[in-house]
Formats: sequence, C-alpha cells, structure tokens
Amino acid sequence: MKVMVCLKQVPHQDARLDVKSDGSWIQEDNIKFEINSYDTYAVEEALRMKDKAGAEVVVVSIGPDRVTQALRTALGMGADRAIHVNDPAAIGADALGTAKILAAIAKAESADVIFAGLMADDGNGAAIPPMVAELLDIPSATGVLAMTADGGSIKAERELEGGALEVVEMPTPCLIAIQSGANQVRYASLKGIMQAKKKPVDVKSLADLGLADSVGGTNNKTAIKKIYVPKKGDSAEILKGSTDEIVAQLVTKIKELGLL
Amino acid sequence: MGTILVVAEISKGAIREASYELVAIARELASAGGHEVNGLVIGSGVGDLAKTFAGKGAGKTYVVDSAAAANYNPEVHGKAIKAAAKAANASLVLISNTPTGWDVAPRVAAGLDCAFVSDCFKASAAGADFNFVRRVFNGKLDAEISSTGQTVATIQPGAVSAFAGTSDGATEALSVDLGAKSKFVEIKIAQSTGVDLTKADVIVSGGRGVGAPEKFPEVIQPLADALGGAMGASRPVVDAGWLDHPYQVGSSGQVVAPKLYIAAGISGAIQHLVGMKASNFIIAINKDPDAPIFEVANIGVVADLFEIVPALTAAVKAAKG
Repeated sequence: MKVMVCLKQVPHQDARLDVKSDGSWIQEDNIKFEINSYDTYAVEEALRMKDKAGAEVVVVSIGPDRVTQALRTALGMGADRAIHVNDPAAIGADALGTAKILAAIAKAESADVIFAGLMADDGNGAAIPPMVAELLDIPSATGVLAMTADGGSIKAERELEGGALEVVEMPTPCLIAIQSGANQVRYASLKGIMQAKKKPVDVKSLADLGLADSVGGTNNKTAIKKIYVPKKGDSAEILKGSTDEIVAQLVTKIKELGLL
Repeated sequence: MGTILVVAEISKGAIREASYELVAIARELASAGGHEVNGLVIGSGVGDLAKTFAGKGAGKTYVVDSAAAANYNPEVHGKAIKAAAKAANASLVLISNTPTGWDVAPRVAAGLDCAFVSDCFKASAAGADFNFVRRVFNGKLDAEISSTGQTVATIQPGAVSAFAGTSDGATEALSVDLGAKSKFVEIKIAQSTGVDLTKADVIVSGGRGVGAPEKFPEVIQPLADALGGAMGASRPVVDAGWLDHPYQVGSSGQVVAPKLYIAAGISGAIQHLVGMKASNFIIAINKDPDAPIFEVANIGVVADLFEIVPALTAAVKAAKG
C-alpha cells in the first residue's frame, strides 16, 4: 500500500499580512510559515493508516526552498519520504496546473490513497484535491471527518451542513480531502526529527515530471489581479478608553438591551 | 457568446434558495455580456423541479433524470454537469459553494480543462472573460481573480439576493453515462447532545485567542453565567479538542441569533460569521484591529480579552447586585 499526502506550506496563522505594493500577493519576507492546518490532519490520517495496516507514506509539496522545512516536519511525524517540486513555473501555477503536477506524481508513484487537506489557509480555494482525482479518473471525497479502510475499499464520512454526515464507499485508488478537526495530530518526536534527517527528499523540476512548459505561466487560466484589505462597510463602533471605561460602556449597552 | 449554465442544487425535494442566487448572478452577467442563461437540474424524478427552475429565472433547463443520480455523487453529478456544459456551449458554469458544490465543481473544471474560481461573492463580465471577488486568508483579505475562456465558478451562498421573478424556458432531457466507482451509503444526522445554543438570549463565544482549554471555564463561562447565557466557541477551538462540537457556532455547527452575542478572541472566519451574524447585537473583543469580526459587530473592543472579559464579568455581577 502506498499513500501520498499533498501538503502546502502557508504563512503562519498569526503572521502579519501586509499586501505587496503592487497588490499581487502578501509580503513573504520575514514572516513565519507552517504546514497548512488542514494538511496536518491529512498527514495524521495517512500515518494512522500506516500504523494500522502498514503503508509507505510519501509527502509531496510544491514551493520554494523554505518548503523543505514543512516536508522535514512531516517526515519527523513519521512519513517515509518526500518529493519537493521546486520550480518557478510550478510555484506560479494556478489550481488546475497545480493539480496536473500532483496527478503526474501520483501516477508515477502508483499511489493507492491520496490524502490532502480540504483547503489551504492562504488561498481558501478547496479546488486542487478533486481536480487531482478527476485527472486520474479516480473517486474522491472532500470534507472527510472519519474513515475506515478494509482491504481495497474505503468508507469515508463527509461533513455536510448542520452536523450531518454523508457516508460514501469507494475502491482504491481514491482521493480523500480531510476536514480540519478529523483527528488529534501527533507532534514530531525528537527521535522522529533525528530520523527524518536521514529520510530522502527528492527535489524535482517540471521537466523531471514531463510537464515542462505545460503548467504555469501562459498555461494559467486564472490570475490574481490584486489582493487587498476588505473595505469595511458598517464596521463596529470601537470603544476607547481605559479597561474600566470600556467595561462601563459595555455594561450600559447591555442594560439598554434589557439583558441586565 | 455562449451561455451561462446555472446548476441547481436539490435538498429535501426542493431547489435550494442558493440556486436562485446563482440565477440572479447569471442574469446580471448575461445582460452585461450578451449571454443566454440556461439551467441544469440533476436527480431522480426531477422533471417537475426542472420545469420550476426553467420558469423561475433559469430559462431553458437541461435535466439529467436517472435513478443513478438519486443521491449526490461527485462522479455522477460531475459527468452530468460536464455533459450539460458541452450541450449548452457554456462560457460560465455556476455552482453554489456548498458541501456538494465544492466537492463536485473542481472535478468539472478539471474534466473540461477550463478555468476554476471558488467561493466568490461577486462576479462581473469583462468582455468575453469574467472577473470574480473572493475572500482569502480565512477572511482577512479579498482577492480579485480574472479567468480566461470557459470557467467554472462556485458562489458563496447568501452573497446576493435570490432571483424572485419568472422566465420562459423549455426543459431538455440529456442522456448521460453516469457510471461511478464510488457509491453513496447513507446520511447520518448527528445526535443532539443537550447544548442547544439556539435557545440562549446571550451567547459568549471564545476563539483561538482564548489560547488554552482551561481558559474557557476560567474566563468565558463565568461571563456567560453572569449574563444568564450560554458559552459557545469557534471552529478552531473545537478542532483543537478544547471544547466539544455542540459548542461550535458556525456553518458546520449551530447557527444562532441571540439578543446579545459576545465574541472574544475570535477573528471572524466566514464559516463562523455565517453562524452568528444574524444576532440582534454583537460585541467583539479582539487584539487585532483588522479582524473581520469587527465588520459584523455593533461594538468592538480592540484589547486583550483577558483584561476586558474578567472585568466585564465582575461589573455585570456588581450591576445585578
């Protein structure tokens, strides 16, 4: 059994988000990065599969040099090896281009199960995992909170609205996009981190994957024109003063509402 | 110009309100860009629903009516949408960004090898192409996205008012191979566990900013108790295992509208805002002045919740005597 996990390194959730002067993206210099929160649950789910039934877990990421850190963390948690696509055209690819890269790797690896996070904390697109499945002509389920594997068959519970769950059954190979909160994510142990240093990280270019000039650049079908801080509409009245003064104003308001 | 294809979503035997929001967007784009609006209804025994959709704004409506489509399945529904996009020569396919919409829409775009933009709250025509606006970084920033050529877009439910007019349009049955490798098993409804936030007059919710599980009984619950209300939480708190799922306010938890909602240390991701923005009065306490929660709040306090909340709890108790 071979399990592939797609993971993205994103700005830390507490990082200061300053938009670049040309509006193209945020300033990435001098901010901290971390593994996308949804992807940490995906790594954990893959490792549980390995713990239970035995599997080789391959983590895959696309991005610049800094991404090595995210891959090393996943290896420290227990993944067996990593593939790092480090190529400017790949890094600038839109969702479909990114999906084509991941599908090419999944195919070359003959992955039985592909895990991904439901979405990324930066782009919030939730686009790539089902695209990878479609490109590979395999079944997929997104927003998965629980799953069980039985031989070549996987039963997954997808989160719907209002606390309802949809149970689906699919044969491998298949793709599962994990919802946040699906499990309790393990930390990389000190021993794991030491072992991770010896685990292989394969750095690949688009040419290595047979995708030179076919993703990114002019192949992109969508483009970010600009990003910006949302215009505030009827924003809140911000209370000023010392803690005591603010609390006094809040109490007055709660009394006006008839709740005190 | 091609068409704008609006994919209806059926829930509990009816077309969802969100589908008529797509119709509203499609009709506005169509009048600006010279497109025709078409509808698509997928399911089993949905002929009448297709007629309804055709008559309530979608115009000519394709219908994929098959026992294989009785339950939602991303492969089945993906095949139906791809077939309809081809039959309608669609320039733009609109799908609601719901748990079924975000599951199937990317498959459709990949299958058609076309542009994809998700969870948009605004769309405009730009010549033959389209522009969209969507939130990124969990609601902290907006992004304007342009797409080239045929495009599949998902739209945030509630982004616009639903179309409420009528239209003329025939229905046309499409015959599509709906084979799938995955299969639907069942829908499980979560058991109710006793925490019913929807009945509380006052809810005090804590977010990631509360920092640690023990701070909920120490800091958040006492204010809720003092106000005779209930304690809630945002999704990251529940995901981290600090509180159980019944406390979760948001689109995947409880949707509430109390007389007073106090959000402490909650930045205001869309999925949380959807669950509480209908509250009568909202007080937000957050250290970050740019937190999106301040956009829906009536009163904001830019400060450390650990200074404000305990002081407010004491003041509320004192006011009650």
